[in-house]
Amino acid sequence: MAELTIEHLSKRYPNSSDFAVDDVSLSVPDGEFMVLLGPSGCGKSSVLRMVAGLEPISSGTIAVDGRIVNDVPAKNRDIAMVFQSYALYPHMTVYRNMAFGLLRRGISSAETKRRVDLAAESLGLTPYLNRRPNALSGGQRQRVALGRAIVREPKIFLFDEPLSNLDAALRVTTRNQLTRQQRDMGITTVYVTHDQVEAMTMGHRVCIMNGGKVIQVGVPLEVYRKPADIFVAKFLGSPPMNVLETEISSEGGRTTVRLGNVNIPLPARGPASLAVSQKRVWLGVRPEDIHGPVPADMAEHVVSVEAKVLSVEPLGAETLLFLALAGTGQEVTARIGREARASVGEAITVSVDLRALHLFDIGTGRAISNGWSSEAGIGGAAG
Amino acid sequence: MNLITRVLLLLAAAIYTIIAGGPLVWIADMSLRSTQEILANPYGLPSAPQWHNYAAAWSDASYGVYFKNSTIVVACSVTLVTLIGAMAAHGLARYQFRWKNAVFMLLFSSILFPPQLTIIALFQMLVEYGLINSLVGLICVYVAIHLPLTVYLLEGFFSQIPQDLYDAAKMDGYSNYEIFWRITLPIGIPAVATTVILNLIDMWNEFLYAVVIITDDEKRTLPLGIMKFLGDYQTDYALLATGLMISVIPVIVLYALFSERVVRGMTAGAIK
Repeated sequence: MAELTIEHLSKRYPNSSDFAVDDVSLSVPDGEFMVLLGPSGCGKSSVLRMVAGLEPISSGTIAVDGRIVNDVPAKNRDIAMVFQSYALYPHMTVYRNMAFGLLRRGISSAETKRRVDLAAESLGLTPYLNRRPNALSGGQRQRVALGRAIVREPKIFLFDEPLSNLDAALRVTTRNQLTRQQRDMGITTVYVTHDQVEAMTMGHRVCIMNGGKVIQVGVPLEVYRKPADIFVAKFLGSPPMNVLETEISSEGGRTTVRLGNVNIPLPARGPASLAVSQKRVWLGVRPEDIHGPVPADMAEHVVSVEAKVLSVEPLGAETLLFLALAGTGQEVTARIGREARASVGEAITVSVDLRALHLFDIGTGRAISNGWSSEAGIGGAAG
Repeated sequence: MNLITRVLLLLAAAIYTIIAGGPLVWIADMSLRSTQEILANPYGLPSAPQWHNYAAAWSDASYGVYFKNSTIVVACSVTLVTLIGAMAAHGLARYQFRWKNAVFMLLFSSILFPPQLTIIALFQMLVEYGLINSLVGLICVYVAIHLPLTVYLLEGFFSQIPQDLYDAAKMDGYSNYEIFWRITLPIGIPAVATTVILNLIDMWNEFLYAVVIITDDEKRTLPLGIMKFLGDYQTDYALLATGLMISVIPVIVLYALFSERVVRGMTAGAIK
């Protein structure tokens, strides 16, 4: 059990002018499951490897329980890591793979056997203990890698995209198993992934990185609903958030933002009202916040927009509509109910939930507001 | 595969086998005949197999001593080449350091030079260090000569071992030195076995350096010992053939036992 504190961590690789990790600060309290999420090359694995002690730090500090471990070799950090490739020793049996780290630490063979047996039992690996890794399936190998980390009973678990080599079905079950295991053991965990579903479902908190920097840290749903900037907004969600460049205009004493052929008045109060000082903004709306027929209880929160259907993707549980907004021709994706019927080329009216409209600064991409509430006065005159 | 292709392939294989194996069979045949018999009819079969040729060659003609010398030299050289070569290959494959490429180039440039080029300098050095006409001197030369190719072959294999394995071993608490013994070497066994066999055969048959470095009769290795029976005026063909058989049999046995491993080591791809 341990608290991990990362402060102003940077990493520049030799022969590179750019920072792979740029001034990252992050605190992971004892027992927390923290997910580092970001696209390939965003620096998340570099952070993990520096925490593990496998990569030298260019600047900044990494502390475990308040003790700075920058210069402590990997073998003395009491941290266990599960690799994307599993990194099982091909010349050793499953038992020996799991016991390898314990042998080096001088743990008695009786205690080693107890721990390995216990871990193998909980991971369903008991029948395979005498097999070599090449005689195991991908899922079994992944569990051996997990078992090898578990038997160490380390202070911190590190996972480097451990599920990315599994097929979709196995990934779901292993994901649940891994989350349960972490919850039962209560060991501080840092989990690197580029899969947003893993991030949303596994972590207590998510740290989103891009270009070597931390963009946003928060509880998964909070990050999804209140993205700090346009990158997070687009990165989370499948299909991603529709982000349209649009203009702010004033007419008749009202300040409005344009969506398709509709001018939506900005609220009088709240963060969204700050957009009045802008000329242009990014307007974001998630596909699930674009509806077909307006539910009666939502009428006061929505605005109707005309659009032409470009294509229809019925997915069974839901239907995706690809639309061109009337007036601007901007393309958006809408996720609507499975009952919805629409045909290509048809002109339809969709309703957009104003409470779920996001505004982002056109220059910096930072969020101006994430939805505006009815209390803020929808349709109120702008100041 | 149709019949004609099959027959043609078998024919080609048969011709190759005769060309490659014919001389060996001939030598084996000669080793069981007397010199008079051989001179009278070089290609005949033994009228009565002269098995005592082997006993005579082993004791009277000192092949036993040459065999022992060859075994000592080759065993020591192969052990040293394998150990030093594997460690060097591990270092080159695994670590980034200054002048790594320069070391690499220097090492492999020596493969390009013909061995004759180094003979005079080598001879002078061995004289100065008092290693001329000694098995230790020969071992030193064999180790030095065979290191570059050994490092080259092993480095190629070791560099394919995924970095994650080394990182995992580090996380498991092992030092770089322990990782070499517990991860690199056991995983690299197919490649190591290949270099062992190739070096062993090459050193066992080596003549040029041995003839320059060794002068005393009791320090000769097998290839030199065989030369003793090639006289200017008279050649004892029976003993010569017997000596060749004594020299060749261990190599054939070793290769037969390990050939599969050698082929696997040479064709080994990425380790999954």
